[in-house]
Amino acid sequence: MAIFTKSIFSRSDGASRAALGRLERSVMEVLWTRGESSVREVAKKLGRPLAYTTVMTTLDRLYKKNLLERRKEERAFLYAPRVTRNDWERRRADELFAEFLGGPRPSRDLLVSCFVEAAGQYDEALLDELEGKIRMKRKELERRRGR
Amino acid sequence: MILPYAARLVCLCFASFFLLHGFLGLAAWMSAPAATRAGECMSPRTAARMLFSLRMLPAILAAAAVAALCVPSYLRLEGNTAGERVGLWCCAAAILGLAICADSLVRAARAMWITASHSFRCKRGAQLVQNSTTGAQIVVMDSESSLVALTGMIRPKIVISRAVFGALSSDELDAAVEHERAHSKSHDNFKRLLLALAPEIFPFSRAFRALERSWARYREWAADDESVGGDSRRSLALASALVRVARMGTAPVPPLASSLHDANDELSARVERLLGAKKRVETVQRRNVMFATAAAAIATGCLALALQPFTLYSVHVLLERFIR
Repeated sequence: MAIFTKSIFSRSDGASRAALGRLERSVMEVLWTRGESSVREVAKKLGRPLAYTTVMTTLDRLYKKNLLERRKEERAFLYAPRVTRNDWERRRADELFAEFLGGPRPSRDLLVSCFVEAAGQYDEALLDELEGKIRMKRKELERRRGR
Repeated sequence: MILPYAARLVCLCFASFFLLHGFLGLAAWMSAPAATRAGECMSPRTAARMLFSLRMLPAILAAAAVAALCVPSYLRLEGNTAGERVGLWCCAAAILGLAICADSLVRAARAMWITASHSFRCKRGAQLVQNSTTGAQIVVMDSESSLVALTGMIRPKIVISRAVFGALSSDELDAAVEHERAHSKSHDNFKRLLLALAPEIFPFSRAFRALERSWARYREWAADDESVGGDSRRSLALASALVRVARMGTAPVPPLASSLHDANDELSARVERLLGAKKRVETVQRRNVMFATAAAAIATGCLALALQPFTLYSVHVLLERFIR
């Protein structure tokens, strides 16, 4: 599953605009948490020593991907997220679905089996039925022991 | 490409491993559905053992052939110690061989990392409790999730979340603990690591996924059988524990851990099996000794044959053709 996910999210073509690298994702997290921020403020909040220009380039790339909007204040740009975290997650999920459902049959089967695993929830009716069978078996055993 | 003596040997080893493993892996992959069906006529323990061997055999046999044939024949008979040209096909096969080995190593390392992190999280704020009936030590994890699992490979520990610990009756808890102890006795977590380490036929493919799932299912059944030992009361207690834990939802389990609910879709089948459980008498110990003796005899015979001058010469001629 991880292999498939990686291959999808590392694509850089136009169809996969929601695909983000690790640094881009961290920058988006900062902006979703803080709101509108300057390059210097984002760099300070990233929690790892990164060059000012690296952060500036990353923000510019996100702006070109249409994920950020910016306005000029004095001589610096202020960046703000154009999409909410929820919208972005949904877009990412849509792409993942489209990729899997458009793919070969094993990929689709894999997706379904992963969902079954991830959900990990059992049908209540089935559990009731199984519990009923256990109760009956227990009574039967007790009856046998009583004889 | 011109390669020196040692680099040629490495290249030949990876290329031969890839070809042999690919051939044997393909045979194992094709026979997997039939083996899974055949497993239904055996005891779950034997079936699990057969499927595990089928999954591991391509890698073991390919590695053994490279170590026992390719390396000695090259070291003994390759006279040219200077650089020599290696063909494109040989290089490509060597790269693919390296890739399948690297892929499996990365997969195993990742699985170990996830499992170790999970174990670390489980132990945080956990309480060690000794089960009064079985005498087993249980790590009671401070969590509301529904987890009953065996984590760790060298000294595995039974981990139960506080929610499950409180919800199960003493009979159900004993049955669940015995189930995890059965996994521990069979070294199932270590086997999971070996499965992760076993290379795929091609890099980044998951051709053996179905086979590994079947193995996991039979392992669960075997652990069920071993934990109840044919006792109807214990069978009922385990079935009841399974349903009760399932009702609480299932917590995510790391890849190298065995959980009470490993094969989620098999709950119904497992409960039905437990309700119809009969005393099973197995002569596993005796069979194990016979199997080990036969395997040792075959391996010795193969090694003796492999080290014959004629065999090594034939292999060397083959490798010479392959390298060009």
